[in-house]
Amino acid sequence: MDFDPTRVAFIVVSAIAVVSAFRVVTAAKIMHAALWLGLTFLMLAGVFLLMGAEFLAAAQVLIYVGAITTIILFGIMLSEAAEVRGRGAAPLPVRRDDASLFRRIVLPALAVLAFVGVMVVVYSQVSWPDAPAGLGGDTVRMIGRALFTDFIIPFELAAVLLLIALIGAIVIAVRDNGRREQG
Amino acid sequence: MSITLSYPLMLAAALFGIGLYGALSQRNAIRILMGIELMLNAVNINLVAFAYYLEGAAAAGQVFALFIMTVSAAEVALALAIILLLAKREKHIDIEQVNLLRW
Repeated sequence: MDFDPTRVAFIVVSAIAVVSAFRVVTAAKIMHAALWLGLTFLMLAGVFLLMGAEFLAAAQVLIYVGAITTIILFGIMLSEAAEVRGRGAAPLPVRRDDASLFRRIVLPALAVLAFVGVMVVVYSQVSWPDAPAGLGGDTVRMIGRALFTDFIIPFELAAVLLLIALIGAIVIAVRDNGRREQG
Repeated sequence: MSITLSYPLMLAAALFGIGLYGALSQRNAIRILMGIELMLNAVNINLVAFAYYLEGAAAAGQVFALFIMTVSAAEVALALAIILLLAKREKHIDIEQVNLLRW
């Protein structure tokens, strides 16, 4: 196979992404899982760059690595529950009876195998284009134009959604404080 | 150009499978949230890859990926607020023992 920098970069980045995503699921301490999640998000920003989506790569770093990973880490550190902090070896012990083992390991594994199997079969049945169609130059300009013409209503709805999420988070936090002062 | 469309599709399928396993097999609410985030990211990879490879899909694919990022940011903020409230009230976040809304 001839040496191709793009292919090598894609394979390296996606291998790191898959390994760190696997560590998110299997890490013993939840703090480590959150940090592995941040590494996964960073690698996916690299994948976006290789797919010609510079703006989305920047947004991925800002939103996922910068905001979501940080907010999850804050959530873990601000919580006092021992299970959240994960001081013990495993976050929650798997009960060793058969029903629990079946429900927590066998059924999810079956679901994942079925889903990924269906996806791989579907992907291999379709003849995909081998070469990229090309994005036509400036993707930031293209995204901006699409956001304010074709997708203006979803764009405004996204703004309303963020406002609702902001208000909702405040309401949840404030209601809890009031209860604690009364009790 | 030597990476074909099947490369990112396989990466997205693998990440979605890992995220699905994490979301289904864990009992810790924050770990379930992380699994859901992995699944959302896998969907974003698919959208960006289709935008890159298919004719005339460039703007729509990237804009939809952007919307998914927005929705998942809102989702994480609300989910963590609820989880922290739960941890404060119940001293645990084991979703198998949470039945506040059941009866």
